[in-house]
Amino acid sequence: MSAIVTTLEQRIGRGATTQEFFVNMGPQHPSTHGVLRLVLKLEGETVKDVIPVLGYVHRGVEKMGEHLSYRQFVHLTDRLDYLSALANNWAVAKAVEKAAGIETNERIETIRTLVAELQRIASHQLWWGVFGMDLGAFTPFLYGFRDRERITDILEETIGARLTMNYIQPGGVMFDLHPDFQRKVKEFIAYFRPKLEEYETLLSRNIIAQERMRGVGVLEAAQAVALGATGPVLRASGVAHDLRKSEPYGVYGKVEFDVPVGARGDCWDRYWVRIEEIRQSLRIIEQLIENIPEGKHLLVKPAVRTKVPEGITYSQVETARGVFGVLLVSDGKDVPYRIHVRTPNFNNLWAITRIAPGWRVADLVTMISSLDIVVPDIDR
Amino acid sequence: MGSGWETTTLAERAAEAMPGSLLAGAGYVLLAVVGASLFVAVLGMALIYAERKVAAHFQCRLGPMRVGPHGIFQTVADTIKLLFKEDIVPAQSDRVLHLAAPFFSMMATLLALVALPMSPIVQVADMNIGVLYITAVTGFGVLGVLLAGWSSNNKWSLLGAMRAGAQIISYEVSATMSLLVVVLFSGSMQLSRIVESQADGWWIWRAPVVGVVAFVIFLIASLAEISRTPFDLPEGESELTAGFHTEYSGLRFAMFFLAEFVNMFVVSAMATTLFLGGWMPFHIGGVESFNAVMDLLPPGAWFALKSAAVVFLIMWFRWTFPRLRVDQLMKLEWKVLLPIGFVNLFAAATAVVFGWYFFPF
Amino acid sequence: MDVSRMNPIVAPPLRRSGFFADIVAGLRSLLQGMGITFRYFSHPSTVVTQQYPENRATLKMFDRYRMRLSLPHDENGFHKCTACRICEQACPNGSINVVSRKGAVTGKTELDRYIWRMDSCTFCNACVMACPFSCLKMNGDFECSVFDKSLLVFNLTRYAGPTSTVLMKVENPEERRKLWEPRDVYSGPLPLRGTELPGGGKTLGKPEEPARSET
Repeated sequence: MSAIVTTLEQRIGRGATTQEFFVNMGPQHPSTHGVLRLVLKLEGETVKDVIPVLGYVHRGVEKMGEHLSYRQFVHLTDRLDYLSALANNWAVAKAVEKAAGIETNERIETIRTLVAELQRIASHQLWWGVFGMDLGAFTPFLYGFRDRERITDILEETIGARLTMNYIQPGGVMFDLHPDFQRKVKEFIAYFRPKLEEYETLLSRNIIAQERMRGVGVLEAAQAVALGATGPVLRASGVAHDLRKSEPYGVYGKVEFDVPVGARGDCWDRYWVRIEEIRQSLRIIEQLIENIPEGKHLLVKPAVRTKVPEGITYSQVETARGVFGVLLVSDGKDVPYRIHVRTPNFNNLWAITRIAPGWRVADLVTMISSLDIVVPDIDR
Repeated sequence: MGSGWETTTLAERAAEAMPGSLLAGAGYVLLAVVGASLFVAVLGMALIYAERKVAAHFQCRLGPMRVGPHGIFQTVADTIKLLFKEDIVPAQSDRVLHLAAPFFSMMATLLALVALPMSPIVQVADMNIGVLYITAVTGFGVLGVLLAGWSSNNKWSLLGAMRAGAQIISYEVSATMSLLVVVLFSGSMQLSRIVESQADGWWIWRAPVVGVVAFVIFLIASLAEISRTPFDLPEGESELTAGFHTEYSGLRFAMFFLAEFVNMFVVSAMATTLFLGGWMPFHIGGVESFNAVMDLLPPGAWFALKSAAVVFLIMWFRWTFPRLRVDQLMKLEWKVLLPIGFVNLFAAATAVVFGWYFFPF
Repeated sequence: MDVSRMNPIVAPPLRRSGFFADIVAGLRSLLQGMGITFRYFSHPSTVVTQQYPENRATLKMFDRYRMRLSLPHDENGFHKCTACRICEQACPNGSINVVSRKGAVTGKTELDRYIWRMDSCTFCNACVMACPFSCLKMNGDFECSVFDKSLLVFNLTRYAGPTSTVLMKVENPEERRKLWEPRDVYSGPLPLRGTELPGGGKTLGKPEEPARSET
């Protein structure tokens, strides 16, 4: 075993000769959710240290953005956090609208809120399935995907794409809602509420799953804030920070919903926060779906290359994984001088270096999964 | 013990034939070898197909549908594929052990099959220490796993092998403890006599409460011994990629795979034999007309049905539960199963001494 | 931040009650889970698998599904493209090359070839949105797998002549017929920016390497 060896003997001067060893978890590993590489320092099964190694899917999105018009840049954000493409689109659209002073109407904002919340549910469904699989239960994975498929179908009918949607544009949305949208969303809510109960029975109340999550990987609130963790990871640590409440955008200011927070910051809290967020998202959708205001869906001519006045603009939205921010630096042209994206997963990932040491390999898998990491979002 | 069943075993027949002509004796040996290989291969493929179909339907899927009607030849196709795949041995591995490990796993499984009474006339050898024998040889399987993990020179494999070693050896204690309950009640370690002792009713219900508890403990402990979910830590796909057989491919991987599935059958057959009456039809002592109806189905079919039910139960567990963690696994064994097993054994002994069970002799 | 506006709801703790109570509760939770999976097992109607190649006849993609760019031609074989190149500029990754030429009869710019590279396309729909004449459409023809990625370069113009409005102005029917004769489907080199195309067209944009004058 060609590892860096430090024997206990060397360290504490007794007769024992166990050795710590390094092992690569990833970039090809079933539980690193893509091409994340974690270098683990193990002592037996116990994790002593975790070193994330990034960059396997770095595509230079920010640099590419300097050569694309604002509208063209939107489609690149689909490819960051592909599970919440709409929220990412929205962040760019919001930044451009803020910088260029484009007004939107009530209908556009309602549509954006609706589709973003639908996608938040879809994202959490997929996370639930993958979390179950990482715990060793295969079936939740299929159930999660089965129910996510319904949302994907609804969005596909309106948007015309299933994953990389490029739907929310500066100054509106690409297509108006499909005539079937309202009916299908209502059908989905009626279908999904009982299914959510099944999720709870199958995994949340399962004694094995509970034992695997209870007290595992506690992320203190102060640590979470210091790491810049956002989204469910931060909220599970007990910090009630949700942009939808604290600086409402879209029509979030007009709907009622609660912000689930955790009590201790362990895996169970992160699990529970996401499950509860599905419920809250369903609540938001229910409030909005009945009365979608009339109006145009796109207020800017699509062929126009929007010019943004000189200056720096920052805007952020709450995606399914946390705060997605866009920083635009404009020199008055129709392409940005510099564009920076603040992706939630990059900050959330580093929580693993704080919470993993001392736990076992199996717990490490649970923790990574409970952080809900999407690797292209980290590497950009 | 008044059961009217003629029982013969292959070993007995071979022993009878041997003095007359050596050729006939050799014929029986050949029959046993060919029969066993065929049986294991067909059983393995059938179980893999069943697993895939059952899993699919638990998960709202269809499973294999393409090769043959409803995909029944899918496993055949996969087996052929595995046979023709390159058998890769890692450069830095312990070559001899790496090549030998799958055979140890397979051998343990095959040896266990020897003693199982599948019907009054289908049994290879009926030892008077049958229960002990099966416990001993199934424990042999861990050797293959340990060798595989160690010789692969892969840290993930090693982790898996170490997990397997700790797990299998621990759970063997509980499994044996629950087997002893049945041994106490039937008064024999010979598997054919244990089956015959259940002519009036199966031990799972004939021995009040202790039978059920022993059955549950046996099932849990055996699941751990054969590394099925929720105790599939040695393979632990999401943690260790494939555990001890990460570095195996082709035929050798197929042997591990086959051993795993046939092990599942061995466990089900053991549970059937000891707790569910083996090949004995469902009888209630003294109710002759009912028993006569039950006798219409041949004993072999009873055995197959009962084993299939237990196999289904095991699959059902697998496709519902998440996996335990290493320390939780140990905690479950040493702090929960073992104490309960001890108390249960004591209770069983008391019940036997005082004759507190249904239809005493 | 005003925390009271947040209405935070706090996660319930997971409690342990005692050795035997936990075993009973645990076993119950496991059985409940098994109940759920068994319900799906025993109801084949809950299967959601679609048998893909077999269900081709009934499989219908949504109208808006974005997969393959097309330049719809009407029943007479006319399209509405004027080769204005707005789509080419709207494309974020240079997947569209509009090759135009001077019309032989009208002397105006007309579409020669509309080359679309599916291999680099991201299906963002920007070209369709940008087209001022609504002559582009994304359709749901999703079966596009090929063994060679150069087969994913499409020429969308079956007929690559002047637009119908221009064509209608040509009085002589013989001459008109000559104009709308179909041209070959594109089969030349990959249209990298600045390379010359067979038939004398040149793709838009700066050449990435000095143009070879001898070709």
